[in-house]
Amino acid sequence: MAWKSLIAMVIGSLFLTACSTVSTPATPEPTTPQTSPSTASSTATTPSNTSTTPNETFSLQAQVDAVDAAQGGKLVRLFRDPPTLDPHLTTDNISGALVNEVYSGLVNVDLDLNVVPDLAETIDVSDDGRTYTFHLRSNAKFHDGKTVTAPDVKWSLERVTNPETQAPVAAQYLSDIVGVTEKLNGSASSIEGVRVVDDRTIEITIDAPKSYFLAKLTYPTAFVLDRDNIEGKGNDWLRQPNGTGPFKLAQYDIGEILRLERNDNYYRKLAYLDEIDFILSGGTAMLMYENNEIHLTGVGIGDLDRVLDPSEPLNAQLQTAPSNFSVDYIGLNVEQPPLDDPKLRLALNLAFDREAIATQVLSNLRTPANGIIPMGFPSYNTNLSGYQYDPEMARQLLKESKYGNDLDNLPRITLNISGSFGANVPLDLEVILQAWEQELGIQVDIQQTEWATFLQDLHARRYQMFTIAWGADYPDPENFLDVLFYTGSDNNQTNYSNPEVDALLEQARVEGDQAKRFELYNRIEQMILDEAPWVPLWNSGESYLLLKPEVKGYYLTPMTIPKYRHVYIIN
Amino acid sequence: MGTYIARRLLWVPVLLFLVSFITFVLGQFGPGDPVQILLGQYSDPAAVQRIREQRGLDENVAVQYYRYISGVVQGDFGESYQYRGRSVGELLAKRIPVSAQLNLAALIISVGLGIPIGLFSALKQGSIWDTTSVAATLLAQSLPVFFTAPVLLLVFALKLDILPTHGWGGFFDSRIILPALVIGIPGVAIITRLTRASTLEVVHQDYVRTARAKGLGERAVITRHILRNALIPVVTTLGFALAGLASGSFIVELYFGIPGVGLLAIESLFARDYPIIMAVVIIGTTLFVLANLLIDLAYPFLDPRIRLGGGNIGG
Repeated sequence: MAWKSLIAMVIGSLFLTACSTVSTPATPEPTTPQTSPSTASSTATTPSNTSTTPNETFSLQAQVDAVDAAQGGKLVRLFRDPPTLDPHLTTDNISGALVNEVYSGLVNVDLDLNVVPDLAETIDVSDDGRTYTFHLRSNAKFHDGKTVTAPDVKWSLERVTNPETQAPVAAQYLSDIVGVTEKLNGSASSIEGVRVVDDRTIEITIDAPKSYFLAKLTYPTAFVLDRDNIEGKGNDWLRQPNGTGPFKLAQYDIGEILRLERNDNYYRKLAYLDEIDFILSGGTAMLMYENNEIHLTGVGIGDLDRVLDPSEPLNAQLQTAPSNFSVDYIGLNVEQPPLDDPKLRLALNLAFDREAIATQVLSNLRTPANGIIPMGFPSYNTNLSGYQYDPEMARQLLKESKYGNDLDNLPRITLNISGSFGANVPLDLEVILQAWEQELGIQVDIQQTEWATFLQDLHARRYQMFTIAWGADYPDPENFLDVLFYTGSDNNQTNYSNPEVDALLEQARVEGDQAKRFELYNRIEQMILDEAPWVPLWNSGESYLLLKPEVKGYYLTPMTIPKYRHVYIIN
Repeated sequence: MGTYIARRLLWVPVLLFLVSFITFVLGQFGPGDPVQILLGQYSDPAAVQRIREQRGLDENVAVQYYRYISGVVQGDFGESYQYRGRSVGELLAKRIPVSAQLNLAALIISVGLGIPIGLFSALKQGSIWDTTSVAATLLAQSLPVFFTAPVLLLVFALKLDILPTHGWGGFFDSRIILPALVIGIPGVAIITRLTRASTLEVVHQDYVRTARAKGLGERAVITRHILRNALIPVVTTLGFALAGLASGSFIVELYFGIPGVGLLAIESLFARDYPIIMAVVIIGTTLFVLANLLIDLAYPFLDPRIRLGGGNIGG
């Protein structure tokens, strides 16, 4: 495999955790790679990590596992203050990136994006697919050397589902477990479906044979914590968390520095690095990188031209990363006229040229989204017939729609976007709106709302047309198609409803054969696209990262997974 | 004077109550829900409701306010919503020194430029220098931050490329210069005008004429007789500025990415992090009120003709 395509494949940028791609207002920070803009490169179209790509035998994880480097060294990078270091409260990607290094759970996601046992050594699934038996590793220890036991796992699940813990996403990730809903709403004092078999064996029963259950269990919500470390200490335990991850928290000064050091009690291959310094006090990343103050930085648009220039010395340190798993889209509320007619919705989809906008307006920092599932994601369908630019057909469809005879009296359409600090309307949207007006004669007004209000109105289904992005929370198509399109789902903001799609979604939830399951999802995706409740816009694409030549084994991934233990520094 | 101070001090809690209560209630009625923001785009009404109940956000506003203010009275500003598990006090303690350093730098610029320019203008009253400085200060005072900040950035960072655009490195870092100028420039104007006006008033006083008549050198007249008296109103404004030291300059900190109180407050506003917003408001109000009081108390020492609360200043 060519070096370049390897790099492109593995230096996938961007952490994805719960809804991480949304534009929450935050400190302006063009510095860290996970906030860099991105688009997919041509080399990224054949990723190794999806089951839809056959004959791909390359395994990054295997390659990384084969490395045997010397311990030592310190990695320094810029970062931001994490909103929390409590895995059970983690909902954002900044916290997630750190939490994934300090703690761990029964399962996690490896560099090939496969769900693999972690604290568990082996996992048995019962014939009916409902009972999972986890056998813990005999050498699984907390940072302080204490052995991780099945009661620790149970206690952690009980803690995160205790209403007093106020874990925001406990239900999202764990409610498949029998009894979690009852525990969360206070009608049960413990989770019925979690049973300690013996000190090293724990059994979890779920409500239906859902093959994506293990994928959900990789989220920090399900991480294992030490009861002795936490109980009776209020929030003080977060200063010295006794986790199980490859690194432990050595120092944390808010707004200044967060330092991790190697956990020598780690149950898998130990990390190479002695320390990692996350600088929190800000700074100009490019400048710091060029002054050798930090080992890596994302490249913002402002510096891109310079580092892309082959005569620039930095160019040799430039790495590209394929797209992350998110999709920007315009949501169409299918209950609100005139968006209640699928033909009109299709017309909107065909009336503008995604390729041209991506190239000319977005400088190829984003790639046109073919459908709902992002490129490279499990079940991604290369044969999907996505929306092609066809203004003729668009006009035809508009004419055939029930509004076709009286276009002058088309109900007004308002597109709602979130934006703070007087942000401009993104240029790509302006171009799309203009195309709609020119090709179809449909005028759309724009209304910009600050994030908190936007969320409230979005969830209340007050918007006729809105734009937002959805990022993967776990590597399973259920996270897109079921969560966003099942009738009545809390996150189905377009009010899309199709009984046939619902039936297929229900079938896919419990289908045991993964290949069949993905085929079902491919069918479902096509059916949804044919009715067009979305105008899919872009997948985030290639991003650029500068990495010092002495740093090896640093792999950016399209999801937040533990990764620093693979990093080493050569002299 | 004792009763005067007592009366003023008694007003402090009343003012604080009004300001904090109004802020608290406005937060309750504004759009957006801090719990929903924690969940982000993911919608889970049951989870939102559960956490709201745990936090007591569904109770009567008066009950919530009482609970909150009881904590504040005991020095407990509660826990941040967005930085979970962190006390508001801890978060602010990290931010206040940053804002204070920035504001101090701005104050040094304001005073360091304002007093000499004002004095010079007054002493050369009617000259071209005087007219120019009056016009310039009027202009500088009228310019809003969102104008001066980009213009200074354009000139010093982009065109001349001599100053960095963004970030924070402490008091002795070059990154403090531009934001301090942005905050300091309107201050230069205010202090220039104040110094000029009060100097003009003072130079015509009898004691200045007396000082000159008894043969004192011009330098001694200016420093010992004119400046000392002319600075009384300037000290007043400085007092306000000092009160502002601990509070952030919202827009400037946002613009230059300075991790001070102002930036935290803006983040908190967007995250509906009410405990932090409340703390910023309460601390800011307290400092303002107390500084005001201190300034009033300082007057008699600077000008013996002023008596507090007596109403015998005449006129």
